[in-house]
Amino acid sequence: MLLRAGGEMAGTAVDLGAVTGGDTANSGVPHAAELVRFAEAIVGGDDAEITPAREALRAVVGDAAMIDAAGVAGNFQRMVRIADGTGIPLDTPVKLVSADLREELGIDAFGSASETSPTGRFGRLAGRLMRPLVPFVAKRMGPKRPSDDSSV
Amino acid sequence: MKKEERIGQRKLGRGRTGCDSHRGAASHGARNPADGEERYALPMPSFSYEASPWQIREDLPAAYRAEWQGLAQPGSWWTGAERVAIAEEVRRAQGCPLCVERKQALSPFSVDGEHAHAEASVLSDVAIDTVHRLVTDASRLSRTWVEKLAAQGVSDGHYVELLGVVVVVISIDSFHQGLGLPLEPLPMPEAGEPTGHRPAGLEHETAWVPMIQAGKAQGEDADLFSGGPQTANVIRALSLVPDAVRSLKNVSAAQYVPTWAVGDPSYSEGRALERGQIELVAGRVSALNECFY
Repeated sequence: MLLRAGGEMAGTAVDLGAVTGGDTANSGVPHAAELVRFAEAIVGGDDAEITPAREALRAVVGDAAMIDAAGVAGNFQRMVRIADGTGIPLDTPVKLVSADLREELGIDAFGSASETSPTGRFGRLAGRLMRPLVPFVAKRMGPKRPSDDSSV
Repeated sequence: MKKEERIGQRKLGRGRTGCDSHRGAASHGARNPADGEERYALPMPSFSYEASPWQIREDLPAAYRAEWQGLAQPGSWWTGAERVAIAEEVRRAQGCPLCVERKQALSPFSVDGEHAHAEASVLSDVAIDTVHRLVTDASRLSRTWVEKLAAQGVSDGHYVELLGVVVVVISIDSFHQGLGLPLEPLPMPEAGEPTGHRPAGLEHETAWVPMIQAGKAQGEDADLFSGGPQTANVIRALSLVPDAVRSLKNVSAAQYVPTWAVGDPSYSEGRALERGQIELVAGRVSALNECFY
């Protein structure tokens, strides 16, 4: 959802098929094909796939961005297991504004979706009304930047 | 003061063994007699990337070093030796034939057998099985399975801390695998007993484990959720073991973005990737793991 929100803020149309199906043709994200290939290789854990994927990504974004991508992949290898291992439901605001998106992407079919109650008609309507506000509300509702600017 | 130093002080503040004795313990080194591979860290700075072909941002090894230091120490529910043994099982699980067979089964609970695990592990079979399932098939776990663990010696506190260790090791090892770097040797465990710390403000909500409600972290754990009326469930998920939340925030800030910046879809300070590129990688990894959240 942050991917789509970021695209809307930047005035860029983002096709989220790259996330669920790996189809990067119309993703709207620079170098999406190489990023997705690298992410898929890391999740697969096969060095024979990782090495060429890494080299392909380096060739288009450089070393520093490739290292960033490895870090993000590592982070989400973690986050998915925290979510799946504790059975947390989607946060209510996210549940509402992402109902259409989840249906579009088919992720309601994931086994772990059973921990989140279905979104009703009124919830969907509320979510649609709230969606344009997501980029701005998310910044205001979340934790605040620490005053010393060094806290995690 | 550097972030790593602050985290080290946090640990020391709870009467745990500090850096000096950590280095002293590590100086003994150790090898796994079963496979001859180096098993624990040798006396050299951990996460030194000087010999690697990459110029890696300093905040990454700084975060990883703090995690390795914490990994070796007694936690809330497990000893240092048990925590390192959990980390060792994370690595074993990735080539475990039983896990492969289970992954292919219609139900992950329909296949019994013995995991490929470390010889003479200090962990119970149940704990080993828990680690392997979290590593290789987390999306098919269930509330019933988690609730049954308590009767088998893995309380909710043990479970959450075990999960916290599993995900630290996975996130750091995945980073190394992505860069084609050898995995960091595990730290030498430190002596001591678990603190048994169970934070105030826990509530059973809809998750499988109790969590501290946003805004209700208090006392020595008041730092967990900083400011703002909302804290995402994924941040609160491990709050039964507050150090696991601190660990999550520490590594995420280096590998992804700081928790306070997650909701800002334009934030990418200090990164060579744009935020949209970051979220694409995040989303693809989550989808491949069939993570709904």
